[in-house]
Amino acid sequence: MLRYRETGELHKDFHGSMNAAVEYVGRRHGREGLRAVFKATAQRVYRSIYEGLKRGDWSEWVEHGRYFMDREGAEYALAVTDDAVVMTVRTCPAVAHLRRLGLTPSEFFCDQTVLLNEAWCEGTPFEAVTEITGEGSCVQTIRRSSKVRELRS
Amino acid sequence: MIPSDQFVRFYNEVFKFLDAQGGDALEEYYRVVSGQQESHCLELFKTQGLAGMKAYWDRIAVEENCDMICTLVEDRLEITMRRCPSLSKAMDNDAGAFSRYCDHCPGWVIPVLEKAGYQCEYDMVDRSVPQCRMTIYPADQKRPSRVLLSDETPGKGSV
Repeated sequence: MLRYRETGELHKDFHGSMNAAVEYVGRRHGREGLRAVFKATAQRVYRSIYEGLKRGDWSEWVEHGRYFMDREGAEYALAVTDDAVVMTVRTCPAVAHLRRLGLTPSEFFCDQTVLLNEAWCEGTPFEAVTEITGEGSCVQTIRRSSKVRELRS
Repeated sequence: MIPSDQFVRFYNEVFKFLDAQGGDALEEYYRVVSGQQESHCLELFKTQGLAGMKAYWDRIAVEENCDMICTLVEDRLEITMRRCPSLSKAMDNDAGAFSRYCDHCPGWVIPVLEKAGYQCEYDMVDRSVPQCRMTIYPADQKRPSRVLLSDETPGKGSV
């Protein structure tokens, strides 16, 4: 069950605001500043997703990903196995919208995915690997950490 | 990706982070945001005046799911936000709303309006209630822009 599940009109221009915000924090406070803001976002704003992951349950992370990728019109695939969830994003709606606005993605833009996933997995039985495969494409993997995999084998 | 629907909850965390840096870190950020907003609306406000402002906020009302009324009167634009979706989301938030969340709005709006040759009385009413009122009018030395909190109880608020 998602904690936040918006409906109604989408205001995609907020991706432009996000681009400006990460550029501002990243330039003035470095990646550590961004890491602090995304940690607060992952673990406090999205507390229920984080608490689920700490319990070993990735279901809200999966539901959140599916709901909002569908709502924003992403081209993506999501595969769930016993040990990992893999979200392959072929067209990121946020990057696509920046381009429609005539904006260049900040070098920190994808940190909203990389650092959020990292913070979501901190102190949980999972680890996050986010591979940026091109502009507007990535592969996000949430997998059981190597220690957990060893214990299970 | 943080969904566009949920940007404001991230924004709320940015405000908390910058406020914790001390000094005028937050106010400086509002000034930068205001400069960025100029590309969306300054030309419209300059060339079409109050009617351009009404067109801008009428569009925002739909896109951002606001319950808002914009009334264009001969010499002013009156905006009544009956339910602000931005503060509503910041409050419907497990991390809690930043106590001065509302301040970012006059923080970017007033500088843009003044560059366009207008001034504004911005009544945030109460920072813990998602409602506010704006009256925008041509620049008038006798009536400078100001920000009010007409119904806020001191000490009330959140994070």
